[in-house]
Amino acid sequence: MKLVEILSSRRLLLGVLSITMVFLMYVWVTNRPDNNPALLPPISDIVASFFTNLNSGNLMTALGASLFRITLGFIIGTSLAVIVGCMVGWYKTVEYLLDPLIEAVRPIPPLAYIPIIIIWFGIDEFSRVLIITIACFMVCVINVIAGMKNVPQVYVDAAATMGATRFQVFRTVAIPAATPFIITGYRIALGAAWTTLVASELLAAQNGLGFLLQEGRRYFATDQVMMVIVIIGSCAFIMDRIFRRIQAYLMQWSEARE
Amino acid sequence: MPEIKVNDLTHTFGKGEPGALTVLEGIDLTFETGSFNTIIGTSGCGKSTLLKMMAGLFEPSDGEMTLDGDIIKGTDRRRGMVFQQDAVFPWMTVAKNISYGPRLRGASKAEQRKIEAKWAEMVGLNGFEDRWPRELSGGMRKRVDIGRVYANDPDVLLMDEPFGALDAQTKERMQSDLLETWTKTKKTVVFVTHDIEEAIFLSDNIIVLSSRPGRVHHIEKVGLARPRSNEMRLTEEFLEIKRRLWSMLDH
Repeated sequence: MKLVEILSSRRLLLGVLSITMVFLMYVWVTNRPDNNPALLPPISDIVASFFTNLNSGNLMTALGASLFRITLGFIIGTSLAVIVGCMVGWYKTVEYLLDPLIEAVRPIPPLAYIPIIIIWFGIDEFSRVLIITIACFMVCVINVIAGMKNVPQVYVDAAATMGATRFQVFRTVAIPAATPFIITGYRIALGAAWTTLVASELLAAQNGLGFLLQEGRRYFATDQVMMVIVIIGSCAFIMDRIFRRIQAYLMQWSEARE
Repeated sequence: MPEIKVNDLTHTFGKGEPGALTVLEGIDLTFETGSFNTIIGTSGCGKSTLLKMMAGLFEPSDGEMTLDGDIIKGTDRRRGMVFQQDAVFPWMTVAKNISYGPRLRGASKAEQRKIEAKWAEMVGLNGFEDRWPRELSGGMRKRVDIGRVYANDPDVLLMDEPFGALDAQTKERMQSDLLETWTKTKKTVVFVTHDIEEAIFLSDNIIVLSSRPGRVHHIEKVGLARPRSNEMRLTEEFLEIKRRLWSMLDH
């Protein structure tokens, strides 16, 4: 994008404007003489904390541990969601069997499982990944089922009258027709993954971004807490952007691409 | 020869339950090989229902249908269908839509390319092979629908008001082009419409259904010469048929 284009893009301009405003307000508040830097650390402290943690290797270790958990939990959770969701959404027998179960479990927030998971599996890597997996699965599976149920009947009939078997209709019609829903499911799952990641690390971890937050609270290092919040926000943002790219690529055919 | 027969067919929605609705009653019809047949009737006469049953999308409560002597049960590639709604798969390009049927049966890449080229040409879509359906107009998408069904090489084509959603001019173009394709392939067509003029222009035989329940009220043999041109729509012969059929439909 050329500079002129950037400046003429109202959407981008206003977006940058609002972020800049919040940033400036923060700078202004922290520079007031009555501000307590222990509660609201100035930007310089936050940046300093970033470099301290970066140089000591703490940040990279934490980031590595968190990204590992989130990636693993996300991949397992969403993969299971696609398999189960497709079966439930397409095959009546599976639907009658599993739908009541999914509906019953759906309202339970995944964080509610943390105590029982800790009791069963301990404060372990497995436990944290499991919680993320559950969270990703639950939000994703609902979307996959909805996608399979919203496949327009006329596509199914058209394929059938061209001689497609029930399985061929599933593979060549239902899956692509449900793709918009499935991708939305993935994106929501990513949000859920971050939520549960931080929560599980706050409660039970010796490393990870959630642990750094907890450590910051324990030592009253608000600059560290703020720094980690910004890191989490940035990571989640970047991941979502990557997903939007994938979505735009897979949805080239769709009328509603963005 | 692939000849389609309907024997004493009756269909009741919710048969045996209170509020059951008989939509078709005692239908006996024979569609000869290579003929162009149109079923007309006011809305609610069960003409679309009849067509969907011929496709095998659902079963009649009584009676049966045969294609070339084989009882119709369930869908198969021998009876292709063009729907009133847009049924073009939006996630496939025009070419991929056209070769969908052959691909299901494991046609080689080379065969697929050949079929795509042939049918894109036949239905007037050459140059659009690599486009997404969203880039096409409603009329063009209907061409994809028709090309896709033809490319699948069925014995019979069932068309359920395929041009119902198109504007008048596009509709006339599509009718002429459909006749041209039909002349080249000589496949049996069963066409459903509520547009009398469309029925006369296209058909050899017009089946008029009465409504609630639908019964065969009249079969009109259209003697107009082929190939048919748009000018024929204004001839006395054409208009006379139109008047006759018009008076038969309940208004």
